[in-house]
Amino acid sequence: MLNYAAQRLIQAFVAMFGVLTIVFIVMHLSGDPTLLLVPQDASAEMIAELRHQLGFDRPVWVQYLDYLYGLLHLDFGVSVVQRVPALDIVASRLPYTIQLAAGALVVAIGFGIPAGIVMATMRGSVIERILTAIVVTGQSVPTFLSGILLIFIFGVTLRWLPTSGSGEFSALIMPSIALGALSMSTFARMTRISIIDELGKDYVRAGRARGLSLGSVVVRHVLRNAAIPVITIAALEIGNLLAGAVIIETVFAWPGIGQLAIQSIQSRDFMIVQVIVLLISFVYVLTSVLADFVYALVDPRIRLVR
Amino acid sequence: MDVAANPLLSVDRLTIDIAGAHVVDEVSFTVAPGKVIALVGESGCGKSLTSYAMLGLLPPAARRTEGRIMLENVDLAVISERRFRKVRGKDISIIFQEPSASLDPLTTVGEQIAEAYRVHHGVSKTEAFEKARQMLVDVGIPDPGRRMYQYPFELSGGMCQRIMISIALICGPRVLIADEPTTALDVTIQAQILDLMKKLVAERGTAIVLITHDMGVVADIADDVAVMYAGRIAEIAPVHALFREPKHPYTALLLASVPKLDDAPKADLATIEGMVPNPSEFGVGCRFADRCPLATDKCRLEQPSLVDCGNGHRSACWHIDRLAEIRKVAT
Repeated sequence: MLNYAAQRLIQAFVAMFGVLTIVFIVMHLSGDPTLLLVPQDASAEMIAELRHQLGFDRPVWVQYLDYLYGLLHLDFGVSVVQRVPALDIVASRLPYTIQLAAGALVVAIGFGIPAGIVMATMRGSVIERILTAIVVTGQSVPTFLSGILLIFIFGVTLRWLPTSGSGEFSALIMPSIALGALSMSTFARMTRISIIDELGKDYVRAGRARGLSLGSVVVRHVLRNAAIPVITIAALEIGNLLAGAVIIETVFAWPGIGQLAIQSIQSRDFMIVQVIVLLISFVYVLTSVLADFVYALVDPRIRLVR
Repeated sequence: MDVAANPLLSVDRLTIDIAGAHVVDEVSFTVAPGKVIALVGESGCGKSLTSYAMLGLLPPAARRTEGRIMLENVDLAVISERRFRKVRGKDISIIFQEPSASLDPLTTVGEQIAEAYRVHHGVSKTEAFEKARQMLVDVGIPDPGRRMYQYPFELSGGMCQRIMISIALICGPRVLIADEPTTALDVTIQAQILDLMKKLVAERGTAIVLITHDMGVVADIADDVAVMYAGRIAEIAPVHALFREPKHPYTALLLASVPKLDDAPKADLATIEGMVPNPSEFGVGCRFADRCPLATDKCRLEQPSLVDCGNGHRSACWHIDRLAEIRKVAT
């Protein structure tokens, strides 16, 4: 078990290091930020001066080490537009995105997993067909469209929910549904297929043969076995929700890091974009490590052997 | 066959359809307390379906269309699912061919045995757990206290089959169905499991329906044998009578195909020509006719029923009197 944990952590560390390096390379490929900082009529000397001040005239590998050194000290650079540490700006917007992602995750898991269970255990029923329709819709309607549709129906026509902004709980409902819809479908499909797969196994028949009802076998044995692939999906989906927030926050004028990312890209405020990219990557890596630990909790074959 | 003793379980003209074909066709047999009946046949002859029907666990595609399954005076073929749940595991239990796959990999074996007890008896977890531990002692598992907390993947196949037997027997069922219980196990473990089953039958008076294709296992443990071919019983007889003097060409050829110790070392294995027919190709005549050396036109046109040949020996063949010809060919 310790061995297993150590392996996962080392893998996560390597993955994160790879991400840092790729982000650095991409930032460099996108050009010299000095030109963005100087006034339009700046002389060549002024530009060279500033470039020297910012250290962009040093060899790439020195800049790379400097960048890593900065990251180690949580120094992610300064926003070129607002002249304050990029991390502070992102941190001030992060709670909104966490709220939104959490809301979307509640929608995705809260509806997706029960829907998957019902679809797997009540095959051929009317309720299964209704759920299938919902799931297919959630999967196939693009996020920006579903967001606008929701606003049109519940915000503009019915006037039940606010069309944008944050603060009240009611403002969270539509963006959570719009953001969570795709994840919800993924959870529903994975849960369904995983349970159907488990239902065909011998231990289900054996469970019924000892007098358990099919429902009891599902609750006591099938769900836990079926959970393993769903955990994998959950880990990926949390990262996807953060990444998906970029579009939804723009549609709903939600002041989170997604909106910030779009604004920063438009104003070419690379330091902020960099922090957001690193943050989302870090969440991906972190959730997959967590998933590995949850596997071990659920499955004794991992916990006891490796 | 020992008809005199009151049969505990009697299957009467059981017919099961899949896609319109009678994959189990008018199968009848009985088993008395403390006796073992073996259902023997090749894969796909309907022996496993028969056993699932006895538990009301037929796969969705299969449907019982006729026949009764009497457990004493209750017809299991017509009772509701709710009532059947009270029978499964309590009156009729089953052990399967793949013991490891038949256990939930994420639940300790102790919990799974205790669960089988708790389904039918409203007792506390602790009490069921103690009962389960006692059961492990009965099936000869060393160090039961520790085994209780182990997971199926930590146990060998033979050990898992003992766990399955514990689950099957913890409620003291009157009928145990053993569906190829030793097929997936090593030969030495096979013998141990068979001995265990014999012991339990003797001690508890459990009736066993043994599903197998292994004639060695049949000779070892069964009292009666029903030989099935393509969904029908070809021959049914007390075990010694069947081995000494088979009355159906299929049985005769089957017995001849079992390799013997005194065969010449490089001798060809005796085989039965041809293949078991597909259920969609079952004709009007005897289903074995295409592979039978004795077959005549009558065999191809008319289905033979089981006829009594004395001493509880029954065979479904038009040419019982010509069987000597096969024995000559076979030896």
